Amino acid sequence: MATSMFATILTVCRKELVDHLRDKRTATMIVLLSIAMGPIVLFGFAQFISSIEKKAEAREVFVMGKENAPQLVNFFARQDVTIKDPKPDFRDLIKTGKHDPVLVIPKDFSEKFLTGNADVELVYDDTRQDSGNVSIGVLRRLMRGFNAEVTNQRLIARGVSPQIAKVVEVRDVNMGTPAQRAAQLLFMIPFITLIVCVTGCTAVAIDMTAGERERGSMEPLLMNPVDRGALVTGKWMAVGIYGIGVVALTLIGFAITLKFLPMPKLETVMSITWLQFAGFGVTMLSFAPAMGALQMLIATYGRTFKEAQTYVSYLITAVSMLPALTIFAQLKDATWQLFVPMLGQLMVITRILRGDPVDATHFLIPFAINAAITVVAIVTISKLLTKEKIIFGRA
Amino acid sequence: MIEVRDLKKQFGEVKAVDGVSFTAQSGAITGLLGPNGAGKTTTIRMIGTLIAIDSGKIKIGNVDVAADPDGARRACGLLTDSRGLYTRMTARENIRYYADLRGIDPARSEKTLARFVEWLDMKDILDRRTEGFSQGERMKVAITRALIHEPGTVILDEPTNGLDVMSTRALRDLIKRLKAEGQTVMFSSHVMQEVAALCDEIVIIAHGRVTAQGTTQQLLEMSGRDNLEDAFVVLAGIPDEQREAA
Repeated sequence: MATSMFATILTVCRKELVDHLRDKRTATMIVLLSIAMGPIVLFGFAQFISSIEKKAEAREVFVMGKENAPQLVNFFARQDVTIKDPKPDFRDLIKTGKHDPVLVIPKDFSEKFLTGNADVELVYDDTRQDSGNVSIGVLRRLMRGFNAEVTNQRLIARGVSPQIAKVVEVRDVNMGTPAQRAAQLLFMIPFITLIVCVTGCTAVAIDMTAGERERGSMEPLLMNPVDRGALVTGKWMAVGIYGIGVVALTLIGFAITLKFLPMPKLETVMSITWLQFAGFGVTMLSFAPAMGALQMLIATYGRTFKEAQTYVSYLITAVSMLPALTIFAQLKDATWQLFVPMLGQLMVITRILRGDPVDATHFLIPFAINAAITVVAIVTISKLLTKEKIIFGRA
Repeated sequence: MIEVRDLKKQFGEVKAVDGVSFTAQSGAITGLLGPNGAGKTTTIRMIGTLIAIDSGKIKIGNVDVAADPDGARRACGLLTDSRGLYTRMTARENIRYYADLRGIDPARSEKTLARFVEWLDMKDILDRRTEGFSQGERMKVAITRALIHEPGTVILDEPTNGLDVMSTRALRDLIKRLKAEGQTVMFSSHVMQEVAALCDEIVIIAHGRVTAQGTTQQLLEMSGRDNLEDAFVVLAGIPDEQREAA
């Protein structure tokens, strides 16, 4: 009746896979988190981008008091810009993000224009991160153009070359490749997929540890003459397979959405290749199982599913916060980040998306860290399963 | 045969088991009788290798439990009050899982299973998912699962707790059948009638110690009482003022 460790691992893994495939809770999580995630996020994102581009293209601006400045209106018209009247209470509306920026022309504009000290007001709210920012840019550019034109005319009228007013001419040369700009916009794909690496197997990891304790099946399970390390390894393998499966589904969801959803505006920015997707896959192949092992370890301390859920949510919060840290701290890519779970993965995937070079260390260091996390977690859980407090401690 | 010698276990300040010694003879039914908190469950969990022994010795047959826990796990089948089943799996799958973990040949475990199905009348529940099983149905599955490796020694901790009359009877019949097959059976209980009706020998435990051991007749003589309930109260060392309640 001697069983090899390998046989034990397989038996446990197979049982957990079957058991959890039948779990509606797990199934719902998988469907919600992975399959629907790609389409929802990308579709929303596409809407956002095309609304920005539409505004930039439409060249519609809101001007208050256009009757006070026929010169300006004439200039706008020549630039193919349509002038629209703002709503009377636009100042309040701008504050709540319900109105685009407005150019306000005072009544005495024409008078002052002749003496050369006219002014206009640009009303906007720079704390709002919406598409209104595009309109500010358009209005600013128009006003610069108008100023330049009038200045030139006045200089010529006085017999001076307009060149004299242009000490230095600035020409824009943007070195960012479209791929880099796309990476900035697409940071959500790696971020969401990495979060899915953690949350995708949470329910399964908790059920196999705290759940087993809660339903009182841990004690009889440990009465079997099997190695506890093998028992935990079998459970971990099942968690890992679920984790990888959910991540794969998420990536496939993104891929299908990118390929088939009619989003012409995004085609240029969102041209992720299959090779890039493969790069994501490799990066997450070890991350998801490692996060599964870590969650199993944390959940082992929970006497009930609920209790374990609370503990695990601390980890999920921490992992979700890390990427925000890179934004606030303005981190540049550095080797040390590869040693930090989540940061390392995020860095590698962002590099892949940006088209920056990626070498073996970018994959090997995070892999080694993930392997270490997994081994430590499995060994610790196996030890915990000999502790009376863990085996018998029931809520 | 189960031999327990001077077994001790302390949880913090509490001496849960304080020098318990007894022998459960081969092929006999031994009852572990004692009030709640006497140390029965802790003793059984130590025999079942679930709790480490502070001091003392336990042998199941020739196996020293502390030295060879896996050997002990093979030698005995243990049913504790943790009878959790996997609710998304059928009764058969629950039992099969343990048979596979123990590396039992499927043909052989099927045969063992068939025997238990007949004894415990489980035909109707065998291929149903265990979600929503009654206490009695859960007990039947749990006990089959615990004994699927046909151990020579069977240990049951308060097996009739929470069971209705019919399930209790089924369990009693099972215990008798196991004995008839020559197995060593030990079970704990705080219900005297149950112990008296089944056991060849009774071990009374109170405050972490064995206060008496013998057949029903011997216990009556030792206590000088003419009914078991009184004998138990006397032998368990329950003070006079609490005897009314006991």
